[in-house]
Amino acid sequence: MEFSIKKCVAWAGELNCAQDWQQFSAGEKSLNQETLKPALSQIPAMQRRRLSPFAKLALHCALEAGQGYLSTVPCVFASRHGDLHKTSKLINDVAAKQPLSPTQFGLSVHNAVGGQFSIFTGNKAPLTAISAGEDTFFSAIIDAMCKLNTNQYENILVVYTDEVVPVIYQPFVAQQEVSIGTALLLEKSTADNNSYQLNVGPSIEQKDENPIMQVIDFLSFYFGTSLETQVSSKRHTWHLSKQQ
Amino acid sequence: MTTLSEEVKNLIIETLDLEDIEAADINDDDALFVDGLGLDSIDALELGVAIKKAYDVKIDNNSEDSKKHFYSVKTLCDFIEQTRK
Repeated sequence: MEFSIKKCVAWAGELNCAQDWQQFSAGEKSLNQETLKPALSQIPAMQRRRLSPFAKLALHCALEAGQGYLSTVPCVFASRHGDLHKTSKLINDVAAKQPLSPTQFGLSVHNAVGGQFSIFTGNKAPLTAISAGEDTFFSAIIDAMCKLNTNQYENILVVYTDEVVPVIYQPFVAQQEVSIGTALLLEKSTADNNSYQLNVGPSIEQKDENPIMQVIDFLSFYFGTSLETQVSSKRHTWHLSKQQ
Repeated sequence: MTTLSEEVKNLIIETLDLEDIEAADINDDDALFVDGLGLDSIDALELGVAIKKAYDVKIDNNSEDSKKHFYSVKTLCDFIEQTRK
C-alpha cells in the first residue's frame, strides 16, 4: 500500500516538535514520563475546560497536522485504550453506587474526541474511531488509505492517541507505554517525495507483544535517516519503506 | 466562615472546571446560564448532580421550578436552604 505523508505532528511530553523527534530518532533525546500537555489556546476556555488530557493530546496533533483542511478533511481517530482514565473513573463510580457525571458519561465513547474535533472545526466529513490492539497505529493508516482510495478523497487525517493506563490496569500491559498523540495528514502517493510503502505479513515467531509501541517505532523511522524498517507484533510483521 | 453563597460558587467553579474564574467574579444575582456565566445544558445536568450530592436535596428534572432555582447563585442558595434537612 502506497501513500504520501504531507504532515506529521507528534506530542509526547517534552518531545513535541519535529526537531525533538529527529533528535529522538538519532538517540540524542529519550522518551520520559513528562506530563507536559499542549496548551490548545486556539480553543475558547469555555470549550477547552471539557477536554481531558487525552483529548488535548489528540486535538493538538489533529489541529496542527490538518491545518488548512480542518473543516473538510475526513478523519480516522485511533487509540488502543481510548480515554481509559475517564472510563475507569466512571466504572469506579458505578461500583461505589455514586451518580455518574453527565459530562464524563457523554464523552466516554471511543469516538468522543473525534466528535469534539468535529464541533471545534465545523468538520462534517466522515470520521471513524478504531482500536486494534498493539497494531492500532498501522491499522489506522490502512483504514485511512482504503477510504481515501475508495472515495477519491484529496487527503485524510489519521489521529492516534494513547495514555499510560491507570495504575489498576498496569499489570495487564505488556508494552512500555508513554502518553502520546500523533497525527498524519495522508495523500495519495505521487512521483514527488514523501512517498511511503506499507506492507503487512504474518508474524515471524513473535509470541509476545512488541515491547515498543508501534507509534514510537514509526516515529523513529519517519524522523530518522533509514529508508526501510520492519516492525513486528504478536500477529503481524509490518514493512515500511520510504521511496527516494 | 464561608457563606453558603461562596460555597455554591466554589462548587460551580470546581464541578464545571471553569478556568480563569474565581468565586468573587460571580455575582449572586447574575444569570448562570446562556447570557450570564455562559453555562449550557450539560452544565445544568452536571451542576444538578453536584448539588444533589453536596446538599442532599432532590431536584425535579425539567420542571419549571427547577429552572427558577437554577437561575442564579442567589436562587440556588434559597432553594438549598428551603429544601435541605
